[in-house]
Amino acid sequence: MDGKSLSDHAVEYGGSIGAEYIEARFLSTVDENYMARNGKFLSIQKKPGKGIGVRVLVDGCMGFGSTDRLNKGGIEELTRSVIKMAGSSRREKPIELSDEKSVKKRWKVPAKIPFHDVSGEEKQKFIKDLDKSIKKEAGRAIKNRIVFLGTQKANKYISTSQGSMIDSNISYISVFTMMNARVKDKREQRMLGLGSTSGWEWIREKDVKQTIIDGAKCLVKTIENAGKIKFDKPIDVVVSGDVSGIMAHENVGHPSEADRMMGREGAQAGESFYSDLLDKGEIGDIKLGNENVSIIDDPTLKGSPGFYLYDDECVKARRRHLIKNGYLNELLLNRQYAFEFDTNSNAAARSNSYSREPIVRMSNTFFEPGDHTKDELIEGVKKGILMNSFTEWNIDDRRFHSKYVGLEAYLIENGEVKDRMVKRPVLELTTNGILGSIDAISKDYITRMAPCGKSDPMQPVPVSVGGPHLRMRNIEVG
Amino acid sequence: MERFNQEIIKLAVEEGSKAGAKEVVAKLVEDDSYQIRFSNSEIDVIKRWKRYYLDVFLSKGHPLSLGKKITTLTIQDPDAKKIKQRVPKEVRILDGMPNSKLYWGMDSQDHPSYPKVKGLFDKNIDGFSERAPSLIMKAIDGSISKGPDKVAGVLYFGKSKIGLLTGYGNGGTYRTSHCRATIRAFHKSKSSGQDLVVSRNVTDIEKKLIDAGKQAGDLAKRGAESKEGKEGTYDLIMSPTVGANILGSLISSANPIMMISGMSPLKGKMGKKVFPDSISVADDPMITGGMNSRPFDAEGTPSQRTDIIRDGEFAGIIHNSSSAKLWKLINWIKLKFWVKPKTTANSALGQLGMTGTENDPRTLMPAPSNYHFKPGTYSIDEIISSSTRPTIYLTSNWYTRFTSMSEGTFSTVPRDAMFLIKNGEVKGPITNLRLMGNLLDMAKNVEAVGKDLEQVQWWEVNTPTFVPTIKINNCRFTRAQM
Repeated sequence: MDGKSLSDHAVEYGGSIGAEYIEARFLSTVDENYMARNGKFLSIQKKPGKGIGVRVLVDGCMGFGSTDRLNKGGIEELTRSVIKMAGSSRREKPIELSDEKSVKKRWKVPAKIPFHDVSGEEKQKFIKDLDKSIKKEAGRAIKNRIVFLGTQKANKYISTSQGSMIDSNISYISVFTMMNARVKDKREQRMLGLGSTSGWEWIREKDVKQTIIDGAKCLVKTIENAGKIKFDKPIDVVVSGDVSGIMAHENVGHPSEADRMMGREGAQAGESFYSDLLDKGEIGDIKLGNENVSIIDDPTLKGSPGFYLYDDECVKARRRHLIKNGYLNELLLNRQYAFEFDTNSNAAARSNSYSREPIVRMSNTFFEPGDHTKDELIEGVKKGILMNSFTEWNIDDRRFHSKYVGLEAYLIENGEVKDRMVKRPVLELTTNGILGSIDAISKDYITRMAPCGKSDPMQPVPVSVGGPHLRMRNIEVG
Repeated sequence: MERFNQEIIKLAVEEGSKAGAKEVVAKLVEDDSYQIRFSNSEIDVIKRWKRYYLDVFLSKGHPLSLGKKITTLTIQDPDAKKIKQRVPKEVRILDGMPNSKLYWGMDSQDHPSYPKVKGLFDKNIDGFSERAPSLIMKAIDGSISKGPDKVAGVLYFGKSKIGLLTGYGNGGTYRTSHCRATIRAFHKSKSSGQDLVVSRNVTDIEKKLIDAGKQAGDLAKRGAESKEGKEGTYDLIMSPTVGANILGSLISSANPIMMISGMSPLKGKMGKKVFPDSISVADDPMITGGMNSRPFDAEGTPSQRTDIIRDGEFAGIIHNSSSAKLWKLINWIKLKFWVKPKTTANSALGQLGMTGTENDPRTLMPAPSNYHFKPGTYSIDEIISSSTRPTIYLTSNWYTRFTSMSEGTFSTVPRDAMFLIKNGEVKGPITNLRLMGNLLDMAKNVEAVGKDLEQVQWWEVNTPTFVPTIKINNCRFTRAQM
């Protein structure tokens, strides 16, 4: 029996021995990774992997298990074990899943140039050429240039006892760089990630190389020119899509995850400040920001790092308007929490491996672009800064008190960006502080990729964290 | 252990060597692990992972070449047929690869015996899965008895059998068991408290889990009615959980890969005073009950204890054979001929990647085992009562991020109950502050080291760390603008 037949068998077998709900997810992957430091390869690896994860509900209790023993005996043993485990716990409040339409679909991301059609030499050459270009254009100040190229081809087959079946083929490609620069006793670092759900054509067609080179040049420019400026009064701050992307992700995407709101991530990724708000108001009535602020999470953007058409619970993906015109509009839901909120799932269940349970995740989260040009945002600033990129960031585990430290940042005076660079400006703001200070959003938009970490065991999944420029008024900058 | 087959380890080494690999490591792992996740004082899910896999590390290269060609192959559910198919093929793939500048060769010495490491395996792990759900409910009840509204957490437990053989004939087989829990209690959505259980032994685990539940519940209750913290400079008392994260970040940079990559604030500090005399830290793979304790490393090198900080002085870095050779070369290029590093038995088939997923490439690299901070002489009460300046006691933290890893400039977010101390007395709980600083500055400012010692490993601390309560002077706390 192949992996798909075994998944179907697990569902049938599990149903016959007491599972009230069972889903089996077969995942077969081929990963190819190249890592180099300063143009010299540290590691090259091609790694196939496959296995099946089985999740069940028994008397309202959940069990999950996985195996790499892909035969009938292995899958039956796993299924029995998972059902027994689920049955060994008791809950006062049984877990139930929202009613969703059963679907049987096959979908794929068409890769114009499949990874296996590209030689290892070409992949190595991409990294070497990129490193050479960084060195040539950014100069000697960058002492460490670490470049990571990863590709993954994944076939996923999900079968459920409610009659759904999703068979998907998807290709992921990503380039991560970690650069650190030193000039005399000054040091700065930058991490930059780009990625897509497509084939090798992304590398050839998209301006990946130039984006990274520009990032490297800005790092050197910053270390050579930035000086500390103390701002005694609140100023205006214009942030780029790099910064607005991470803000949308951390300050709005994470607290919108319904499992956090309901406490399931309490001991790991934490809870959500939305819980307090929903004690006092309803979704749709809770004001979080100015009326020009809308934030979207959309898995259906073709080619994006977080692209998918059906989630890992076989629910059809759609755009989620998390914040609409300043009001809390929608949460990220899987079937368990859709049931709790008496609604339908909006297809936010994702798992990063056959050996991990699907949980509520983001996909591509961003501020909805506005009508302005970047120049118009800057023209409206009397005194402020333009923050193009960031280094350190963090946020509390209810996702309210955040901090973003600028990397490439410039002084703005009387509507003009000055040559004077600001060293490590600190935005230490609450989520309301961010969303309530935005008065204009640009129409330009960039995409960045990051592995978003959540849960225990940790499940990094690819998401995009880019967006438009934002203008924030009256910000205390540290 | 039903599938573990010692013979296939030998076969993998033979197949690798026969196909032309100069160096081979075969590591067979059979693992049966469980997880119970709970929240809102109820069990959310029980999970089980049964894994049986063979990692095969292969290298080729002339003894005098700059680096060597390397690859690591993972064979799931391995058998002789898969090994005979895949290992020779992988060796052939090596021919087309460039040399890895990170890999310079493994331990070729003969190691006829290994140290006996106590407490690696507790036979009572068998059948523990039957008891575990009820023990979690007892821990939850213990926590609730202290006053909080709800409890969340995770319990991991399981057993592994590990067999290793290198092309030089080194290695052996050993069993391990493990059990670790994070219990976090919440009180009226306003405060929380957390405690950990980290153990190889499950025989007396019931009391440990219930005590941890009570401690988490007590902290959550004591953290209630907190006042908003004020920005400023305070002395800082770090619980073991916080110390393992913050000071552990500095100790983990005593790694040649971090230093070469410009990510270590300890670079250039060898032989210099980094902490006061009261701090000594070692990497210790033989410590009883250590979650990464083992008789030998991934090259079959016998485990040994390595001093990293000795009486406050930066005394050593961890190495595997490859990094020791590379480190020697780097120093010889700088005409430092007296630097002759050797492996410290810290070789691991570690992940070398940037996505943080299990798909990142793996290779032999230096990695820590367990960190051990030497305990001091003070009780926590003595540390608190001697704190005459404004002091903050942190019980837990998360999201430590660096503005500059090479400088050690960072900030981190207090996560659970946090208390203000004035004139030697706990004045009450405070909230919504952020700790920022520089690891080297903080290290210099250690004032007191507790005599308590706990093993810490949880979501925010990967390397098992035995660490006491530690007090540091003059730390900066900030808060977010509303």
